[in-house]
Amino acid sequence: MTWRIGVDSGGTFTDISLFETETGRMEVWKVPSTPADPSHGIAASVSESLSRLGAEAVEIVSFGHGTTVSTNALIQGRGVLTGLITTEGFRDLLEIGRQKRPDLYDLQADKPPALVSRDLRLEVPERVRHDGGVETRLDEDAVRQAIRRLRKKGVKAVAIAFLYGFVRPAHEVIARRILAEEFPEAFASIGHEVAPEFREYERLSTTVVNATLGPVMQGYIERLAGRLKEIGISAKPHLTQSNGGVIGFDAAARLPVRTVLSGPSTGVVAAEAVGRLAGFTDLITFDMGGTSTDVALLEGGRCRLTSEATVHGYPIKAPMLDIHTVGAGGGSVAYIDSGGLLKVGPESAGADPGPVCYARGSAEPTVTDANVVLQTLNPTHLLGGRMPVRQDLAERAIARLAGRLGMDLHATAEGILAVVTANMAKAIRVISVQRGYDPRDYILVAFGGAGPLHAARLARELEIRRILVPRNPGILCAMGLLLTDLRADFAATHLLPLGPASLGEMAAIFTRLDAEAAAWFAEEGVAAAARRVERTVDLRYAGQNYELSVPLADGPPGSGWITHLAEGFARAHERTYGFAAAEEPVQMVTFRVQATGAVKKAELRPEPPAEAGVCASATGERKVWLSEIRGFVTCPIYDREILRPGNRIDGPAVIEQMDATTMVPSGMRASVDPIRNLLLEAA
Amino acid sequence: MNPAVACPEILRADATAIDPITVEVLGSAFASIAEEMGEALVRASYSTNIKERRDCSTALFDTAGNTLCQAEHIPMHLGSFIGILPHILKRHPEVGIKPGDVFVGNDAYEGGGTHLPDIVLAEPIFFEGRMVAWAVNLAHHADFADRGHAHIYQEGLRIPPIRLYRAGVLQEDVQELILLNCQVPRERLSDLRAQMAANRLGVQRMQALAARYGLGTVLAAGAALQNYAERKMRAGIAAIPDGTHRFADRFDCPELDGELDFAVTITVAGEEMHLHFDSPPQVRAGINLVFTALLSTVYYAVKTVVDPTILPNAGLARPIHVTAPAGTVLHCVHPAAVNGRTGTCQRVVDLIHGALAKAVPERVIAACNGAVTSATFVGTRPEDGSPEGGHLWVYLETIGGGSGARATKDGLDGVHVHVTNTSNLPVEALEGEYPLSVLRYELVNGSGGAGRRRGGMGLRRVYRAEAECRLRLDGSRLRSAPWGLAGGLPGGKGEFRFGPGVGPFEHGSGALKAGDIVEIITPGSGGYGPPEERTAEERARDSAEERFATAAAAAAE
Repeated sequence: MTWRIGVDSGGTFTDISLFETETGRMEVWKVPSTPADPSHGIAASVSESLSRLGAEAVEIVSFGHGTTVSTNALIQGRGVLTGLITTEGFRDLLEIGRQKRPDLYDLQADKPPALVSRDLRLEVPERVRHDGGVETRLDEDAVRQAIRRLRKKGVKAVAIAFLYGFVRPAHEVIARRILAEEFPEAFASIGHEVAPEFREYERLSTTVVNATLGPVMQGYIERLAGRLKEIGISAKPHLTQSNGGVIGFDAAARLPVRTVLSGPSTGVVAAEAVGRLAGFTDLITFDMGGTSTDVALLEGGRCRLTSEATVHGYPIKAPMLDIHTVGAGGGSVAYIDSGGLLKVGPESAGADPGPVCYARGSAEPTVTDANVVLQTLNPTHLLGGRMPVRQDLAERAIARLAGRLGMDLHATAEGILAVVTANMAKAIRVISVQRGYDPRDYILVAFGGAGPLHAARLARELEIRRILVPRNPGILCAMGLLLTDLRADFAATHLLPLGPASLGEMAAIFTRLDAEAAAWFAEEGVAAAARRVERTVDLRYAGQNYELSVPLADGPPGSGWITHLAEGFARAHERTYGFAAAEEPVQMVTFRVQATGAVKKAELRPEPPAEAGVCASATGERKVWLSEIRGFVTCPIYDREILRPGNRIDGPAVIEQMDATTMVPSGMRASVDPIRNLLLEAA
Repeated sequence: MNPAVACPEILRADATAIDPITVEVLGSAFASIAEEMGEALVRASYSTNIKERRDCSTALFDTAGNTLCQAEHIPMHLGSFIGILPHILKRHPEVGIKPGDVFVGNDAYEGGGTHLPDIVLAEPIFFEGRMVAWAVNLAHHADFADRGHAHIYQEGLRIPPIRLYRAGVLQEDVQELILLNCQVPRERLSDLRAQMAANRLGVQRMQALAARYGLGTVLAAGAALQNYAERKMRAGIAAIPDGTHRFADRFDCPELDGELDFAVTITVAGEEMHLHFDSPPQVRAGINLVFTALLSTVYYAVKTVVDPTILPNAGLARPIHVTAPAGTVLHCVHPAAVNGRTGTCQRVVDLIHGALAKAVPERVIAACNGAVTSATFVGTRPEDGSPEGGHLWVYLETIGGGSGARATKDGLDGVHVHVTNTSNLPVEALEGEYPLSVLRYELVNGSGGAGRRRGGMGLRRVYRAEAECRLRLDGSRLRSAPWGLAGGLPGGKGEFRFGPGVGPFEHGSGALKAGDIVEIITPGSGGYGPPEERTAEERARDSAEERFATAAAAAAE
């Protein structure tokens, strides 16, 4: 027997998913995380789950891992003491950033703290011009002195970033060599290696974030790799990056900045895989948890990549899935503000004390409490009976809000859900309408603990007609790790006019990027047949400053490249901004290669249609509030675990399972597909 | 509003006929639309001032000219929209306005603008044959450079609200007249196109919203959101102790030979606030404020102290009453010049904060850098056969400074404050696009006022011209220093320094030769609380980080 294993480790829970490749058997576990050293809890729970299954560690052929270690280190300021060496006259750029203040009106708002304090930001004489010419040669002695000073100050990591380092890396290369000579034990983070793209502040910020996280991530990965080895796992472990692909632990430790969105990316990849297996490729993912919700759009099975995002206030230039996050989830608190409107979130009751209905002392009503009052959630217990629920407490808390709004209890609970749904709809408009995509053309994939409960409301708001609820919505991310390819991104910035005259340079740039990709394939041991390379170019009209990414035509360099890019750009511009300017010259800015190494993935086996009818899964009935009629109706309740392929349930109905509840409103029908997803569509 | 409105029974939005939840849901949808318009404008534009510095704002209005919702990137724009629709409707009877009409305008006296470079595009939104709202956006076109400022006729082309598009058809004559009066017509054309695209989005999204929720509900939500902002403003003012507070300050800038005295008297009475401004008669310099510029500054400053979360719509203005004698610097009348109004606005914020510090000292911060320090370069591209060859280039940038110390926290270093908040342009973008080099860009040691809480630090930016050009420098707090609060010391002043052989510069303007070096130092900001209350640990950190180098700080050590 051989097993593939996926471990998704968050701040509160670690989800483990195991898949036996011959029989197709899949097992999932949820265990508490060990935040002090997550590797400890992971290793312990992996060996425990193996022994429960009667499996041996040597039978594990693949280990995929998603982690929040780097994200949490960034949020909590637990990066290492870091020094910076930069161009003379620019040491404060890290603090100045774009010179904007964090909030237009809030005088008390603060910027996130600079990751390198002013006394550890050292300048050296050197200056490269925008065309790559050298105005001032690098003062190597000054670099040496600076490194010695940083060493004396006890830094653990050194970031080196100069103006135009992406155009002419020579000075950064020399400085890196001197760093290796003088201070080899420091973690080195070099601008042109981490983010070889223009805009000096964003590149600097990325280089510094990478430096402060480097030793943290290296330490974590070493501990985890060691523990996995101890329990006998010999498979090479892999980690999810923010671009949704996985890479080997070694590569991840070199560029930790590329893993800051590891967690949410894993969810998107999992949704993509589940969608593909169910036969859908145009998806909007809706991952609603306790405190926040992540949404993303996939067209043709691909999520748009963005090359820059601001993560917890720090700009990061790295390939990242275009995921939009809102601070609203099941635990979000509802309140009335000083102007008398009902607001929900971003404050969250979290896991502790949690919603009022958990009876752990909180009196602040949450989205979960509204669902308990409306009985869309089970009014007596959750988590398959493990969590008792006090509906009376939830009612009392929401009644207080209702009194102040002058509305009745149920209309107020309904209102809480309407407001939180509006927040989600706004987030989805950002990644769909604002990018030129019509959400009505997509399927909503609902997961996370609260996604399936709110999916139908959200779909109605956006006029989305179909909803896919995966088999284990609460632990989808761990499953996604069983379904992910290896992926790495390579990029280079060169400003070139789009035209036949640039073909020679384009070919040379892609040859270099292809070579980098080939080296990575070799390092990861990807067989020739499993290698796939996709090339794109970021384009803009000369004079603009934001680019749109367009795929390069296959085939050798030629005029086909140019016309394909020109047409693709005009289409993308029309779609995004509503116009294209045919007469304007187009400029190429960044050239990208995405390398994918196909791996053998878990294959979810289709099951034959059920013999038993849907009645076998009915566990009872209760009165449930239906927003479409604004009243209670007695609805049947079904047990998701007993539902089998081919079963169909007409709404209104509620489908319960251990980690989630799915609401099927009237007028919709849920059917169980061969891999036991629920598909909701108009009856 | 024109009484001959087509269908008053529909357009009379009844704010009471809608529940607070629908209001919140539609408020979210309005905000989505304004933000989407703003993103489209920034991303599709060509000029650095919009695409990188985001000096633009977008909004939705009801047909009476009240702001429903806006996505402002700069608080100055909060009220720059206020006067626009009344001026359009004054000139153009509503019955004659057709779908696809687009109005353009910029004039401070006849167009509802606050200075000429802010060009506004406004498009009516029709639904089922009726005009129901407006999509409006404003972009600061970095043009009209190197002009005089004795009166508004010197400052650029005055555009009253006129049709740029008539029922969807571009009025090329109008466009050509505008472009010929601009120094960089190619940028202007492209930016106008981006502004058009942004409004189109707003029109489509609002029509979709009305189709989905019903027009009556959408309009009612708009009215209810204004009432909501008003309620929040009233609740916030009511929490400030009643009383009358007066505060005076001085204003200087390179255009003026001396300083001007400004004063405010603020009366807080229950849930309303009255602000009266005294200032000298309007001057022959581009620093005068039209009344809407004064209003927008007041709304900004009061909102920051009362409740920063109040929605930026027309309702927030209702409990605030503003007076200033007409014909004075802070309430100028035709034909006063107004181009450099933002510097004056910054001092108005200082006045309001200074007065309110007497009522709610913990909510107010010490004086910020009090300026919108700017450098405007104008030159001619060499005749090199490129499409740009022989054409003029204009590059404007504004530089941040210190933000005042707070009661419990140090001030922010090197940021834009109060009525402005534009990004800098990356050096790597600037140097490729213009014949300029940036040699240094850093915080100025010692410029943050000492105090229990330190004031934010000013910035130093050093340029070298790589080709002949003209430069106009603007700023303030060159003569007076940003004040501290509660015993905090003042911050550093601003200064312009010139390398050897540069100049002469008169009233901030002069010529540069290739190789000339100009250094701009922006003001810091005031400290909060007595310096001796700063802990030893904090002082050690200040010293290690070289935050202080002034005698004042040394004395406090």
